[in-house]
Amino acid sequence: MQRTFFKQGAEAKLERCTFYGKPCLVKERFRKQYRHAVLDKSLTTQRIKSEVRAMLRCRTNGIKTPTIFMVDMETNSIYMEYVEPSITVREFIADVQQNQAGDCPLLALAEQIGQIIGKAHQSNIIHGDLTTSNMLLAQKFQGDAQSTEKFTPADILQKNIQDLEVVLIDFGLTALEGTPEDKGVDLYVLERALLSTHPNTDHVFEAILMSYKKNNPRGAAEVVKKLDEVRLRGRKRTMVG
Amino acid sequence: MAEKKFHHALYPDTTIILALFRDVENAKEVRQAVMSGKFDASLLKASMIVDEFLVTVAANKAVHSQRCGKMITKTVHSEILYNLSAGRKITEAFKKIGISDTDTSVLVAIAGEEEKVLQSLQALKSVIKGRQVSLDELSSLADLSAVRKEYKLTDVELSSCSPVGAIASRIAAKDIITV
Repeated sequence: MQRTFFKQGAEAKLERCTFYGKPCLVKERFRKQYRHAVLDKSLTTQRIKSEVRAMLRCRTNGIKTPTIFMVDMETNSIYMEYVEPSITVREFIADVQQNQAGDCPLLALAEQIGQIIGKAHQSNIIHGDLTTSNMLLAQKFQGDAQSTEKFTPADILQKNIQDLEVVLIDFGLTALEGTPEDKGVDLYVLERALLSTHPNTDHVFEAILMSYKKNNPRGAAEVVKKLDEVRLRGRKRTMVG
Repeated sequence: MAEKKFHHALYPDTTIILALFRDVENAKEVRQAVMSGKFDASLLKASMIVDEFLVTVAANKAVHSQRCGKMITKTVHSEILYNLSAGRKITEAFKKIGISDTDTSVLVAIAGEEEKVLQSLQALKSVIKGRQVSLDELSSLADLSAVRKEYKLTDVELSSCSPVGAIASRIAAKDIITV
């Protein structure tokens, strides 16, 4: 299997390959030299398991995530679908802003993002690293009538946002429990990520929040209250006494 | 040639072969031939397999488990069958995914060294009374409502992905989570 280097993060390295004819991404968590070998193995195993669990839990709740092809505990790798063609939400927003295409596509996008996070939180999935780079825009799933036309990532920018779908990726920091506090922090991370990577997007976050409230009617009020608290003190809780 | 042959993604010396047979008259004999050890193969109920890719994922995983000494069942071929099932019970897996005596469509998966695999395929072909067809016919044979029931696929889940994607993820993550 021919693997080509794709990306590298602090915890894992990403490589691209094909898995029996399908485009595939291998996420391999590497060994941390500074950690004791036994502890390292146990932490890595734990994290791979929780990542896979979160991806499956998202799927069963109707949130699109890459299909998992194989989990290899020997080399600490997850083999998953490489969503293709796709662009990151980050690229999409940057493109819309650069071309001054108006707010319409951004607000439609915000609606979708709010919907996904609302659904996730309702199922007690805390993504933990909601940034615009960890969301992909890909062609919308159309059931069996999936069109086979081939297009490039650049073509996606030409598509109507209604024909696109947000795919959530990178569940490396995901937790499967749900206090309003955690959910508030999750939203706060997204707010910071959005505002610091994309200038003048305050109204986009407002729109995300609106859509979030609609899609998580049971818990939203409490979470938004927590979000206001978190905004004042920052992500980390003050630990006094 | 209607069967598909490919090498394992991690262990290129291992070959996997898939073949589909229809109008099989002697499912019982074929099953007994496998059980008596005449040749090695996984005999799968074609109506429960939505796509050949799922068998690929299951066989890929079975061979990997075998190499790591982590198999749940005794042989690679029963492991393929077990991987394809939704539950953790081996007998249930054989009942639901394995062929029964009355089945007329059989999907065969064989994994191992190339020479042995081809021998098994020849042995199988000499026993089975049916016609070999292209694997593309698999989708038309699938019993989608039985598949949905077995894997507990909901409308919510299928709104965002195909049954193939949903089941492939379940097979791959089987030892981590059972949905």
